[in-house]
Amino acid sequence: MPRTTHLVLAAVLVGGPAVRPPVASAQRDPANIVIVTGQQATTPVPTLIEGSQNTLANQDVADQLFLRLVGIGPGMVTAGDRGFVPLLAQSWMRRDSVTLVFDIDPRARWHDGAPITSRDVVFTMGRARDSTIAPRLANVTRRIASVEAEGDHRVVFRFRQVYAEQLYDASFHTAILPAHLLEGLPATEQAWAPFVARPVGSGPYRWVRRQEGEFIELAANDDFFLGAPAIKRVIVRVAVNADARINLLLAGDADATENIPPPLTNIERVESAGHLKLVTVPSSNLGYLLFNYRDPSHRDRPHRILADREVRRALILALDRQLLVRAVLGPYGEVPYGPVSSQLWIRHGAPKAAPQDLATARRLLAGRGWVDRDHDGVRENRRGERLALNLTVPSSSQQRMQMAAIIQEQLRQVGVRLDVVRLEPAVWTERRSAGNFDIDFSASTQDPSPSGLAFSWTCDGPGNAGRYCDRGADSLLFRAIASPTADRRLWHDFLRRVEEAAPAAFLYSQLYVFSVDRRFPEVTLRPVSAWSSLWRWPAPRS
Amino acid sequence: MTRWLWRRVLQAVGTFAIAVVLMFVLMRLAPGDPLSRLQEGRPMSPAEVEHLRRLYRLDQPISAQFAEFVGGVFTGDLGTSIEHGLPVTTLLASRLPATLLLGGAAILLNFTLGLWLGVRQAVRRGSREDRTLTLLSLAGYATPSFWLALVLAWLVGIRLGWLPVAGMRDPLLAPDAPWLARALDMAAHLVLPALTLSIVTIAGTMRYQRNALLEVLRLPYIGTARAKGIPEISVVWRHAWRNAVFPVITLFGLWLPLLVTGSVFVEMVFAWPGLGSLAATAASSRDYPLVMGAALLAAGLVVTASLLTDLAYALLDPRVRYS
Repeated sequence: MPRTTHLVLAAVLVGGPAVRPPVASAQRDPANIVIVTGQQATTPVPTLIEGSQNTLANQDVADQLFLRLVGIGPGMVTAGDRGFVPLLAQSWMRRDSVTLVFDIDPRARWHDGAPITSRDVVFTMGRARDSTIAPRLANVTRRIASVEAEGDHRVVFRFRQVYAEQLYDASFHTAILPAHLLEGLPATEQAWAPFVARPVGSGPYRWVRRQEGEFIELAANDDFFLGAPAIKRVIVRVAVNADARINLLLAGDADATENIPPPLTNIERVESAGHLKLVTVPSSNLGYLLFNYRDPSHRDRPHRILADREVRRALILALDRQLLVRAVLGPYGEVPYGPVSSQLWIRHGAPKAAPQDLATARRLLAGRGWVDRDHDGVRENRRGERLALNLTVPSSSQQRMQMAAIIQEQLRQVGVRLDVVRLEPAVWTERRSAGNFDIDFSASTQDPSPSGLAFSWTCDGPGNAGRYCDRGADSLLFRAIASPTADRRLWHDFLRRVEEAAPAAFLYSQLYVFSVDRRFPEVTLRPVSAWSSLWRWPAPRS
Repeated sequence: MTRWLWRRVLQAVGTFAIAVVLMFVLMRLAPGDPLSRLQEGRPMSPAEVEHLRRLYRLDQPISAQFAEFVGGVFTGDLGTSIEHGLPVTTLLASRLPATLLLGGAAILLNFTLGLWLGVRQAVRRGSREDRTLTLLSLAGYATPSFWLALVLAWLVGIRLGWLPVAGMRDPLLAPDAPWLARALDMAAHLVLPALTLSIVTIAGTMRYQRNALLEVLRLPYIGTARAKGIPEISVVWRHAWRNAVFPVITLFGLWLPLLVTGSVFVEMVFAWPGLGSLAATAASSRDYPLVMGAALLAAGLVVTASLLTDLAYALLDPRVRYS
């Protein structure tokens, strides 16, 4: 090889290390943290986190900037008035069964120095309950009848009915906005653009800057009335690609990341790096096989196979769900009982999910006339129709694609032919909404409140894609919701009824695996909003 | 020449218009709409869906949507991105510099290194160096860009720790840091993605240049130049290369739009905040306004690059005459 080429190679090898930029890694100043996420926060402003902006990224940043009246406590119990912790409101009390009174902490200030008053709460709730601008929020706060100020620091919430989650409804769905900056503006998002570009909040961190498509920078609010954060600077960095996120962590250019995506080897890679630790957090993510009760081509007719409860039960019993979870999620998931994610408080004390039972599954199928008459490995009914079903899976979910392959094999053992139909996410959702599937591999993100189950698991629930309908189960659910206390037994009655009807095979409730640099000694990550306790983290080690 | 130029410009405008109409129709014909993607994992109530349909004007007939889009093209208002909640023009304008920087650096590397190596190969035809470079360039050409990106990020960024593995700048570097520090930081972030893009495209430039120069070196006037005793370096670069560079101009016209819009994987793996990754995520989430904005830009680039290539030929090659 000629001398010039040698010279170029030598220059690269010798000069390589010198190319590293002047600011090398996140670890230069221990009081900084760089969190890398897969999605950009575009509108981290309460009441605007709606529709396409209803993303975890927006919520995570909004939780650093804005405070709610009260927060859900460590037990994640959303019912009753006791499982909550003070934030903007230093205390709350009940006047009667439909009236809650909050006293705002007089020390609370907006980032621009203005005091936070009851006027801010009334203004925010007015926006949140306006269905023309925030239909989602308006729907979830529909049971609030009125919000009124009594003096500068007292707010009174009145509810339309008695139920256990009044405090949750009053405080969880939206943080409080500064009325003095927004009151004069029309409610549209466009009108709020300057505020969205530079939000003024009340939380432990204040806005510094946004570099579009790259990162958001926040700085500690040293005047934060609940205590100045020890971590002084927060960078929320965006890397859509999972490999890029992991590379940033491994190279030391990021200190922490949200849920490490599958496959499990990604977690192993991060774990093997000495400077990183793993932290598991209960998630709102629930995976299940949704059975269609109706014929996909004629929605007015019952499904020729899946309308039969015994067949659905047989399919569930044919699955080794523990094996599925272990194979794909490793130790970071569990088999749920009913449609209950790992963050819902009602999962405690619930019965265990039924284990695989191939003999019973075969017996149930044979009892309903499904027998392998031509000995080709697939059962047929008396009319010669094969026990063949489609499973629709979104191609974006590697996890579900992996599980689908195992499920296909497990059902083959009981003579069920399952064809996995891999669909582009937009097409998959469209087909799911239209009821155009036999079995759908669904994964839902649940609210922290179990009352959200009404959305998908009641006869009239708008998210009831499989058309499961059991009025008895509905009444059990609504009884649990309407109970004035946090009574798990009522919820478990509902879950038992759902499990008996077998509208779906509930496969996994996931634990999210976060990674954080070891120089952060005591790390608390919250299930609903992972980084919302960041301001309480003690000072990192140098 | 002027008449030709006008005709060529009109052709370019026509091509651009057809491309835009086709993209609009194809996007709307594709199954799934922006709202179906929004409901993945978080089903919405019918009231919410209806509100969003109205908000994004998806309740309008397709002809009305098209008329609005065309009107927007002329007024510079391409709508608001459904996914990002920002005006499409703002988003494109904020991402374009990153794409131009990456594409520009890759083209610069491609054409400086590619032309130089192509000339060296032609001059040393059949030598060990020629064979080695051919082998290396073809290996680079055959390497998938995403794989190469992952390997480079792992080797150079993580194992050796020489260069940043992702992003366009260090977020911890203060925005008021000295410009030299910021420029060095950005340059360091640029190396790996630009190198990845160039390695997979440089082979084409080298092969084109090598073959074009070999053709020219065979011509009688080169022999005459050598017979006159002109130094070999001058024969190659002053006499031969100037006539051998024209085929490469065609290649430049082809690479230009590809490097701006075709760097999706590289942008993804290196978290480069450019248009490629933005357009790719917009397409998968059916963010119609953003997809159309990006498509408009891409079509404009292709048509402009093609026009510029023709113009460059007309201006630089005295043998080419247009009428």
